[in-house]
Amino acid sequence: MMKILKSRELLVLFLLVAMILAVATQNKAVLYPFTLINIVNSSLFLMLIAVGQMFVVQTRGIDVSVGAIAGLSAVIFGFALNAGMPLPLAMICALITGALAGAVNAVGVVFIGIPPIIMTLGTLGAYRGFMRVLTGGSWIESIPQNIKSFAVTRYMSIPLMVWAVAVLVIVVAVLLWRIRAARNFYAVGDNADGAYLLGINVKATRFAAFTLSGLFAGAAAIVFVGQIGFVPMQTGNGQELKAIAAVVLGGVSLMGGTGSIWSAVIGSLFLTAVDSMMIFLHVPGSWNNAVAGAVLLGIVVFDYLIRRTVHNRQLAARAAEMRRAEADQDRSTNTTETREMAS
Amino acid sequence: MTDTTPPLVALRGIWKVFESVTVLRGIDFEIAPGQVHALLGGNGSGKSTIVKIISGAYTPTAGTVEVNGTPVALKKPSDAHEKGIYMVPQEPHIFPNLTVLENLTMGLAGDRAENARRAEKAAQEIGLEADFSAPGGELSIANQQLVEIVRGLLRNAHVLILDEPTSSLTRREVASLAAQIKHLTAQGIGILFISHRLNEVLDFSDRVSVLRDGHFVLSRPASELTAEQLVEAMLPEDFTPHDADARKCYRIEGAHPVLQVRHLSGQAFRDVNFDVYPGEVVGISGVVGSGRTEFAEAIFGIDTEATGEVVIAGKPAPERSPQICQEMGLSYVPEDRHAHGIFLALPSAQTISSGVMSMPEGRFMSSAEERNLATRFIDKLRIKLSSPMQSAKTLSGGNQQKIVLAKTLAPEPRVVILDEPTRGIDARARQDVYRIIRDLTADGVGVVVISSEVGEISEVSDRVLIMKRGRLVELAAGVTGVEQISAATFDATGGAGA
Amino acid sequence: MKASVFKSWEFMLAAVLVVELIVLGLINPAFLNIENLLFSTSDFVHVIIAAVGLTLVIMTGGMDISGVSIMGLASIVLGLSFVAGVPIGACAVLALAVGVGAGAFNGTVIAKTDVNPLVITLAMLFFYAGVASGLPTLLDMMGFAVAGAGGFEAYQYEGISGLPKSFTWIGTGALGWVPVPLIITVVIAAGATYLMHRTRFGRFLKLIGVSADVARFTGVPVTRTLVTVYALNGFAAAVAGLVLTAYFTSARSDLGAEALLNIITAVVLGGSSIYGGQGSVLGTFLAGLVLGFLRQGLLALGISSDVVPVIVGALLIGSVALKIGMGVLGTRRANRLAYETERAAVANG
Repeated sequence: MMKILKSRELLVLFLLVAMILAVATQNKAVLYPFTLINIVNSSLFLMLIAVGQMFVVQTRGIDVSVGAIAGLSAVIFGFALNAGMPLPLAMICALITGALAGAVNAVGVVFIGIPPIIMTLGTLGAYRGFMRVLTGGSWIESIPQNIKSFAVTRYMSIPLMVWAVAVLVIVVAVLLWRIRAARNFYAVGDNADGAYLLGINVKATRFAAFTLSGLFAGAAAIVFVGQIGFVPMQTGNGQELKAIAAVVLGGVSLMGGTGSIWSAVIGSLFLTAVDSMMIFLHVPGSWNNAVAGAVLLGIVVFDYLIRRTVHNRQLAARAAEMRRAEADQDRSTNTTETREMAS
Repeated sequence: MTDTTPPLVALRGIWKVFESVTVLRGIDFEIAPGQVHALLGGNGSGKSTIVKIISGAYTPTAGTVEVNGTPVALKKPSDAHEKGIYMVPQEPHIFPNLTVLENLTMGLAGDRAENARRAEKAAQEIGLEADFSAPGGELSIANQQLVEIVRGLLRNAHVLILDEPTSSLTRREVASLAAQIKHLTAQGIGILFISHRLNEVLDFSDRVSVLRDGHFVLSRPASELTAEQLVEAMLPEDFTPHDADARKCYRIEGAHPVLQVRHLSGQAFRDVNFDVYPGEVVGISGVVGSGRTEFAEAIFGIDTEATGEVVIAGKPAPERSPQICQEMGLSYVPEDRHAHGIFLALPSAQTISSGVMSMPEGRFMSSAEERNLATRFIDKLRIKLSSPMQSAKTLSGGNQQKIVLAKTLAPEPRVVILDEPTRGIDARARQDVYRIIRDLTADGVGVVVISSEVGEISEVSDRVLIMKRGRLVELAAGVTGVEQISAATFDATGGAGA
Repeated sequence: MKASVFKSWEFMLAAVLVVELIVLGLINPAFLNIENLLFSTSDFVHVIIAAVGLTLVIMTGGMDISGVSIMGLASIVLGLSFVAGVPIGACAVLALAVGVGAGAFNGTVIAKTDVNPLVITLAMLFFYAGVASGLPTLLDMMGFAVAGAGGFEAYQYEGISGLPKSFTWIGTGALGWVPVPLIITVVIAAGATYLMHRTRFGRFLKLIGVSADVARFTGVPVTRTLVTVYALNGFAAAVAGLVLTAYFTSARSDLGAEALLNIITAVVLGGSSIYGGQGSVLGTFLAGLVLGFLRQGLLALGISSDVVPVIVGALLIGSVALKIGMGVLGTRRANRLAYETERAAVANG
């Protein structure tokens, strides 16, 4: 029981299923495959930036510029398409933009030592302003509409975009599992000094985390433009906080060292599902944020209580262990010795 | 020294300065192949700095590090690993969410399967029995230590640094560690061993060096040394065992105790009972991990889970917090000065006044009153400052500790608990602290001094209690000699006690 | 030494402010019209008010990003209670009380758990924003009657206008040449300055910020102080929300949502360290003016407002990088000096 509670991904997944089933008792429509697919489809953008965010949070950082990076990448993606570039090349442009923007954050945080929240808050403004400067503040609309074919084409009645992101997530999960250096994210976040003493390159790891965060924001931009077919100025607005909420909800501690890619995936699914459930319960959409906030608060406080209990139990167990071991010894040797001392 | 084989590691003329405080003053040190070299010294004597320099975590301000006779630059721990040096830290760096196998191989280059195979082999050799796929957080403390040793072996370490490896182990676990150390030295591995427990130091090591105030005061083969000699070497230079009759005891006979502790129990201590009378110094001798700090924090209301009764200045204090204790007349100088005692980044005057800030009289303290209070204590405790506004960060350990004392005494307590009051401060400041303690008792304040330094307990105490594995035992009245205290404190059955 | 560097940071900000006004005035003399200059502050003083509250929180090494949501929440509470027929004075008091309560709740959770304040206030940022936007429909559901068609829900998107003059005066009125919002800001900043530098509470904030552990061992009532300071931050955010409501003459739930970057920038540029223990209300106030006039000035010069966040972001990062650089150099020099002195002492004796 304790073990399951300790796996936050499973706990939140369980809550997600429970929530959907509970809503289903009020409104069967929520269980239609079409509904479920729709929830997944609309969570893709958040999911991708959350996956990027996960790397940063895991290494005990925070990146509030991901929404702005996604916006900037979307603009570059739009420009590239409008310039007549083939789709793959345009996608690469968007990804590079994201990675570069992330690397700029990394330079400030890793090499200058600026606190992550300050650095990324600064670039949040800078990237968003830059995005407006590039476009003159207007939407990019005349994008070749074949880009949308990805979003509307369905395979086994699931949008191609969902398949693409699912494949991407699985590939990343496998890579994280296979690549040794991926463990460094955990190690650095869990105990940066310890990781350093073990010879892990802490700076390189944190640099990689911020760059990956930007890269995934770039990928999210591609999904976003693909889904709606144009680039509005609000692209990515406010999504940075949602992404942080998603990863924390899914079990990545802001104190670093915990959680996995599934935290980001399940966390974003949960937050997106909350929005949909509201509709099925005929609760006005204006309450979405309140529910999301309450769930996030509830989860982190619950997690704190569990951690405290586990910690106290470990302490007590160790104290008892010491006591038993010493009592054995005391009986055999020590009683005489103390008596001698006192006399 | 050794003409044929160069030492595995040698330090030559090493200096280290932090935040303007000099920690090491040109020391020389060697670790020979197949030998255990023990490093002894009080807290803050510079031991851990030496360890960190050898393991590449710190770079020296001046001096050279040699590995196998060649000067090297160890800029980061991985440099030291490459040269075959590995440090097993006091608190093992376990990643609780990674598996035991991942914990073992973390940071290693090379093929994953190959590493796993080597890890399994090394673990078997060293006697680490654990489920390799279980999370690291479930390892016992003893096994966590072994994980660290295996990490070193996997890096082909020729030099292993064991920093207080036994401080949290049971005796049976210590015995098994001793066997592992023999096994390692037989293969030519050199070991730097650090411990507070003198009998372990003598049992385990081939050579012992004692560090005091940033330089070595003794370095000899362990076979030529006794526990008394080690105790003596660790004492400050101008320390002379006191003459119990000549020193005045200010204990007020027949007075009501200022502190009464009854049946106090917590996780690290059980059923602690003692009284403190006005004007006396009660010494509590105990090694790291004996439960001494935990029970002091329980009295002061930091740990609120403990059960038992505490009576401060005649009034029962069932609900305690630091604020309540201070108002009732009990103050506490914590063991860890930087983490719990002093506001490093603040002007010294503000740390001093912080002691009364939370008291009723602190509510409307003007800046003039604050300055007066600070100046009064700066003069009284002879704190060396360029101005009361000087930040504590740049002060010596001794002056920092005096500021903590000033903060603690500012509320004019009836009874004071001092936990390791002279940790990491020089001989002069140490004498000043003892004088301050004496002055306090002359004013009728009851003082409790908790220390792992036997010489200190012997020097200051009118009455001695021994904290051992969570139990408090009182020595017979009038017994305050170094020999008796060290015998009762350390489990020194061989050296000092007999 | 620390104190003088600290002081000079505020002095630098004041100098920057003067230079900024002179440069902008030279380019466009109309900008320096005193009356315009004073009244243009009404566009941004809500940022300063909220930033002053946050300065107190950051002093303790904490963080509260939910202030921007409390602004909207206070605004909508005022508006809804007004249309429900509550006298406007009582509405304002209710809105401020909601702000204090919201802040105190943040503080309680933060003080009682070890969860990062950023995470908790992130959750509360969503929660309060959600409550603010959902409140109109909740009142409808609970069956409160309201004059006019569409019930409370009608107010959700268009906001609540028609607030009485006696209230909108705090956003649009003036005493002589000085607009009321600016006066409120100065009063709040002065109050916070007094609290921070002249009271025991202010000292507690600093002690907790330097080291919460040492503060606890010293007898500082850490929990109580934290709850109070977050409550004060909630109060400041609510005042900011009401001033903005009065200025726009319309109560909206999403009021101030865009201000987060500017608020934190004002605090950090003002010289506060987000690690705690170091902060200045005066610095925050001055930095808020520098940022606000910069935006106004650039707009007056016909420069696209799009550039402003780029400059604000660069200022934020640059100022922190500058401080870090100065600190590193100072420590290095001090250590070198200490080594040489000791070494000389050993050589001589």
